[in-house]
Amino acid sequence: MELSLLKEEAAIQIESSLKRVVLIELVFPVVLLIFGIYHGLMQFVYRSGLIHESSFAHIDYYQGLTAHGVINAIVFTTFFAIAFGNIIVRYCLKLPLNMKMTWASAILMIGGTLSTAIAIFSGQASVLYTFYPPLKAHPVFYFGLVALIVGSWIGFFNWIPNYLRWRKLNPSVKTPLAVVGIFTSFIVWMIATLPVAYEVIVLLLPWSLGLVPTVNVVLARTLFWFFGHPLVYFWILPAYVMYYTMLPKVAGGKLYTDFGARLAFMWFIVFSSPLGLHHQFTEPGINSSFKFFHSILTFLIAFPSFMTAFVVAASLEYAARKNGGSGLFAWWKKLPYFDSERWLFGYLFCGLLIFIFGGITGIVNASYSMNRVVHNTAWLPAHFHMTVAGPVFLSFIGMTLFLILQLTGKELKFKKLTVSVPWIWMVGIFISSGSTFVTGLQGMPRRTNLGLGLLDPSSPMYHPEWLTPSVIALFGGILMTLAMVIYFFVVFSTLLAKSRVKWSDPIFLKLPMSEVLHDESVTWVENFTPWIVAAVVAVVIAYGPPLYQILNDKNPGSRGFLPDSPAAVETK
Amino acid sequence: MQSSQKLELRVGLAVLVLLIFFVSLTVVAVKKFGIDLPGCVTNIAAFTEGKVIERAPSHFEIHYVARMWSFEPANIELPTGADVDIYLNSIDVNHGFQILGTNVNLMAVPGAVNYAHIKFSKAGKYFIVCHEYCGTGHQNMITTITVSDHPAPVSIEDRASTPPILDDDAKAGAILVASKSCTACHSLGSSGPSVGPSFRGLWGKTEDLSDGSKVLVDGPYIRESILQPQAKVVKGFQALMPQLQVSEEEIEQITAFLKSIK
Repeated sequence: MELSLLKEEAAIQIESSLKRVVLIELVFPVVLLIFGIYHGLMQFVYRSGLIHESSFAHIDYYQGLTAHGVINAIVFTTFFAIAFGNIIVRYCLKLPLNMKMTWASAILMIGGTLSTAIAIFSGQASVLYTFYPPLKAHPVFYFGLVALIVGSWIGFFNWIPNYLRWRKLNPSVKTPLAVVGIFTSFIVWMIATLPVAYEVIVLLLPWSLGLVPTVNVVLARTLFWFFGHPLVYFWILPAYVMYYTMLPKVAGGKLYTDFGARLAFMWFIVFSSPLGLHHQFTEPGINSSFKFFHSILTFLIAFPSFMTAFVVAASLEYAARKNGGSGLFAWWKKLPYFDSERWLFGYLFCGLLIFIFGGITGIVNASYSMNRVVHNTAWLPAHFHMTVAGPVFLSFIGMTLFLILQLTGKELKFKKLTVSVPWIWMVGIFISSGSTFVTGLQGMPRRTNLGLGLLDPSSPMYHPEWLTPSVIALFGGILMTLAMVIYFFVVFSTLLAKSRVKWSDPIFLKLPMSEVLHDESVTWVENFTPWIVAAVVAVVIAYGPPLYQILNDKNPGSRGFLPDSPAAVETK
Repeated sequence: MQSSQKLELRVGLAVLVLLIFFVSLTVVAVKKFGIDLPGCVTNIAAFTEGKVIERAPSHFEIHYVARMWSFEPANIELPTGADVDIYLNSIDVNHGFQILGTNVNLMAVPGAVNYAHIKFSKAGKYFIVCHEYCGTGHQNMITTITVSDHPAPVSIEDRASTPPILDDDAKAGAILVASKSCTACHSLGSSGPSVGPSFRGLWGKTEDLSDGSKVLVDGPYIRESILQPQAKVVKGFQALMPQLQVSEEEIEQITAFLKSIK
């Protein structure tokens, strides 16, 4: 993509091997995303009360929901984080990566994803993406998840020697902000994936293979959410990297402050993990004082959120004034919202707008006393679709397209269509989440095939008042799907177009990297070590006592159950 | 301080103020309004049978068993104003338990019993939905509590698919006390009819009799008072009680009920 905004950037040569592996890591999840998006639309269809079926096109409702969650929230996000990290680390540190490790990571992740996909699409893993025991999936499902996670670890470990070498070569220079952000993301990922790896490898796999008869469900759930909430910060952090290092440049300005960005990242390292119990407020077996403690710790994440909001807004204002904007608020008009030369702007900006509502509704979920009003209602998916399907998803698909263009050396076709995608998506998500917030507050459950229950006129539990908002939500879902159909059309027509660059050739890469307006050196945010130590201490304080309590409670253990039978699975 | 660091400081202060505000509100919610979360209910033995137990008039204890894909007891009726302690246990996978239109929202997690309290001040039909995915029949896992001024007497025949187990003597005693019109003269609380002594707190008490002697309220005394009401009359009351036609088993049930509201 030849954009004027990339004129001044230095081009870095990307080896053909790295180019190929990153393109595979970008395109593979986008192909899977076709299924993920289809099952997202089907969710709205089943839940609109317009059809009353347990399955459609030979795929069961809960099977499709599992595919939707695993593909969109786990596979697509993890692949993108690794691909983006590979590029950022290579581009910013200017040191070649160990390609054996890079390929090993990609192959493990692809193999793992395919195993999990086979388990899901053969109908033997309809356990949703949270895979709570004692619902039992086929062992291949768990093996696949382990391979995906281990592959991502290898990808991360591969960057560490380059970082250490770069530090030695540049002792007096600050680590590039984008690299700080990527490393933050993967430090959070490491802290988060250790408990879930323990859950899957030690608790679930032997139990699913029939080697041990029972599993402690309270423990498994606690370990899952020890992972599950930092997971959402792992999703958002690559988006934050784009907001801090690229959005100001794309908007035509500079990053307002470098210190604020670094402080926000370090804060994420410490406070991303010790808060998962806020997903377990309504369940027994965990002392409520631990829940209160985690509720307060969750609110501490307000700090980096506010920091990002103010720094990004200040950076955008700076850009707008440079573009000729003036007045107290009128400068908003001078941003490149629909500029097809700066099409990436919409993908980042629309995500931020959606995120405002995602953040505010999150306060309700994490709040000790308000959570029970919304727990497991339709409010929840409405909330997290305004985070993971807002800033995370839009920035990821935008950057995926950007990198595909850069790495293949192709011109963007259909620029106007490309610009329209995030805006259509945003309108769709406001409509669908907006109406689902309302029904959620009235208690409509999430993860439920409503067409067969609460929205079935022949059922004694029929709730006709939810019909209209559910159809409105479906309309929003159709708009979101339309945006993605356009996106897939743009991506695949670009991929199929002829290129001047051969598949075996290296490529010169340019990324839009912002300069900094107020660039200060504040040493205490420029070293990871103390923040990692603080993170470990925080995790021990927040999770030590509840885990001690859970392990000491008498839990009889649960035998496994398949989703289609109330009879426990027989074990030898 | 450098110019931009002022921004970081201001952001920090704004967050701090908001945090203090939110945490204070939460503390008020917990302390003043009693909005607390379920904790560690470990002193309750896990049960596997659904039950409605009337511990005292208008005070119920419900043992809900969640299973793929129903709640036990199903579709129960309660009187308006019923004060209910809900215990929830799953005997298979994770389930949800939300009473729509109320603040009762629980998870049923196998291996631990959950608890919530609710008072049904308004009459109506309350839907209880399972809101955690529990297998292919998840969307059908719904039951109701119907609250009215005249709930049908709790009996096995009324319970649709999964009958509750109603062998609790005290529960049966409560129904007898109501059906034999005992409560026309004996109150069940601190106020109410006072033709005869109040039932509340009666069990285990030492009563002064009209002949000047004293008697301990125990099993034999209650049996005698039911079968020969005039034998021992409590001081300050008239000898008005008729003889009841009841079986020995029913006497035991009434005794169990009186014990339960001591």
